[in-house]
Amino acid sequence: MSSAELGQIAVNALLLSGILALVALGFSLVWGIMNIVNLSHGAFIVLGAYLTFWMYAIWKIDPFVSIPISMAVMFGLGYLIQRSLINQVIRAPLLATFLLTFGLEILIVNLINYFFKADTRSVQPAYSGTGFTLGPVRVPYIRLGALFVSLALVLALGAFLNRSRLGRAIRATGMDLDAARLSGVKVATIYGLTFAIGAALAGAAGSLLSTQVAFDPNLGGPYTQRAFVICVLGGLGNVVNVLIGAALYAVIEVVVGSRLPALSQAVTFGILVLLLIVRPQGIAGKGFY
Amino acid sequence: MKKSATLLALAFWMAAACALAADTIVFGAAISITGKTAKEGEYTRDGYQFAIDKINELGGIKVGGKTYKLEMKYYDDETKPERTAQLIEKLINEDKVNLILGPYGSSPTGTAAPICERYKIPMVEANGSAESIFSKGYKYTFMILSPAKLYLRGIIDAVRSKDPKVKTVAILGENESFSKEVAGGAAEYAKEKGLSVVYDELYPTNAQDVSALLTAIKGKNADIILGSGHLQDSLLIVKQSKDLGVSPKAMGFSVGPSSPEFRANLGKSADYIFGATQWTEALKYNGDDPWKTPKAFGDAFRAKHPNYKSIPYQVAESAVAVIAYQKAIEKAASLDPTKVRDALAAIDVMTYYGKVKFDSRGVNIYKPMAAEQYQPDGNKYTVWPADVAEKPPLYPMPAWDKR
Repeated sequence: MSSAELGQIAVNALLLSGILALVALGFSLVWGIMNIVNLSHGAFIVLGAYLTFWMYAIWKIDPFVSIPISMAVMFGLGYLIQRSLINQVIRAPLLATFLLTFGLEILIVNLINYFFKADTRSVQPAYSGTGFTLGPVRVPYIRLGALFVSLALVLALGAFLNRSRLGRAIRATGMDLDAARLSGVKVATIYGLTFAIGAALAGAAGSLLSTQVAFDPNLGGPYTQRAFVICVLGGLGNVVNVLIGAALYAVIEVVVGSRLPALSQAVTFGILVLLLIVRPQGIAGKGFY
Repeated sequence: MKKSATLLALAFWMAAACALAADTIVFGAAISITGKTAKEGEYTRDGYQFAIDKINELGGIKVGGKTYKLEMKYYDDETKPERTAQLIEKLINEDKVNLILGPYGSSPTGTAAPICERYKIPMVEANGSAESIFSKGYKYTFMILSPAKLYLRGIIDAVRSKDPKVKTVAILGENESFSKEVAGGAAEYAKEKGLSVVYDELYPTNAQDVSALLTAIKGKNADIILGSGHLQDSLLIVKQSKDLGVSPKAMGFSVGPSSPEFRANLGKSADYIFGATQWTEALKYNGDDPWKTPKAFGDAFRAKHPNYKSIPYQVAESAVAVIAYQKAIEKAASLDPTKVRDALAAIDVMTYYGKVKFDSRGVNIYKPMAAEQYQPDGNKYTVWPADVAEKPPLYPMPAWDKR
């Protein structure tokens, strides 16, 4: 392996881990706080991608500029979905929430399919495909931008959870429901907000992905899978764990992919199984935020 | 009261079903309306339906003095091969369809074939070209297509016609049965023609990042990069090649460029890229079917579906599967599945799609593959075979940063 290739592999892994961290961030939050494995997370990502696509196609809004808009829309939608649907099964066994979010995923995907058809789309601003070179290594602008946005959102969520009153209430609810309730936290509102933030982050991930990969209504499924693996690898409990999980996932996928691409997913999931046996809480995680 | 109403409704329904069964030939299909190949599934369904409507418009199919209308009953297999098998079983057992039209894709076709075999119901399939399906001795499955291993030959030939000294080729394929055979066939053919295959790897289905493979290929300086996967993979490979500055002299794909969405998603980046195709409107066939020529087929289809600008080959091949059934049923003069099967095995007919004739395995090896290329004037042209080409191929492809 030449040093040029090695450098490129390192850059590829770094860029990939950024976007994957954002993909998993909202998923991890909802899982950690509400104990809901949100199988419709991928569908929210797809919605984010479509929002950015339409804003670009109709009003020529730059995909990076449309991120806050797509987050706001998804925040609202996430809140509504939580209060109207998820809240009905919040105390039900895990299987019920699985079924509900799984059903929701199918519903959203089929609605998108119905309204927008199965057409494959992508957002291509003028700077798409351009980049700069560092010696023999090439760094595309869009992926670099996506890395920065992802890191900024990860850090922002971390700061919000640790420093703000609301963030601490969210964490308290995840740690001990009864104690939080006794201290005057309105759990229903907190759950609604947590789910809404998760959906908003999925929306941001979708907006960024729309510039990197061609997507159709079925883009989400594989990303729900990835988010799940990343959460298990890194563990719940802290936004930094999401970064660790995403970095690990990206390194495995890119390094194995550069030599034995056909095995990259097998290796990733192999490590997942191994980790579940030896360290089920993840590399750095605990059971809650 | 309520019960008798229900019974009455049931009686009506059964009467209607019987009336329907009396002079209708029902084709059953499980097609990917959702899932990874949703778009291709849509082409498949539209192609089937287009041919069925056309035959009905012309009066239907005559079998022993009685005229039958055609009808299609299909379900969404969600691009899940195991679902396809269940649905085919349901179509045969519960819906009692007469004959089966194939699903989209080699893997679903592979799971549908043994079911058809078990119930001795023929399946003419137009969208699963992996030959592995046909190595199992099935007697009831027939493939309209040129087999997978031929897919990328046209592109290799087109490039060699412009540059006989072209040396190296890199192949990356999706790890599933059809794409593997395409990649294997391309590697074999390239070696046969004296090229050296410097990279030949598979990536997992649903890959969302192939930068690792492209980085490895970049280090090998391949003259030609060939991809064998599906539409989204081809888009991903082009996008990431551009991202990473991987600029071969020629780039081509088995599936992807034939779809109008290739240009829609890539814009100018689609220029110079080759696509393998089973069929294009530019080909010069003159067949014995309702449309006769590729151009007439294309025009007729566009008239009915104005949203299609160019006609993806999946539409044409799916429609011709229905034509093959029409010919076979007329010749068999029977709707008995086994007799239709025997007529299919003996079929030898020229169509707008090319020659339809099956070898002993049920594979149509009598039709060549063509190659298309996106050119900078914004259009896509058939560039191979040379004798039917609309334009000569453009080669070499300029580097991404020099356009």
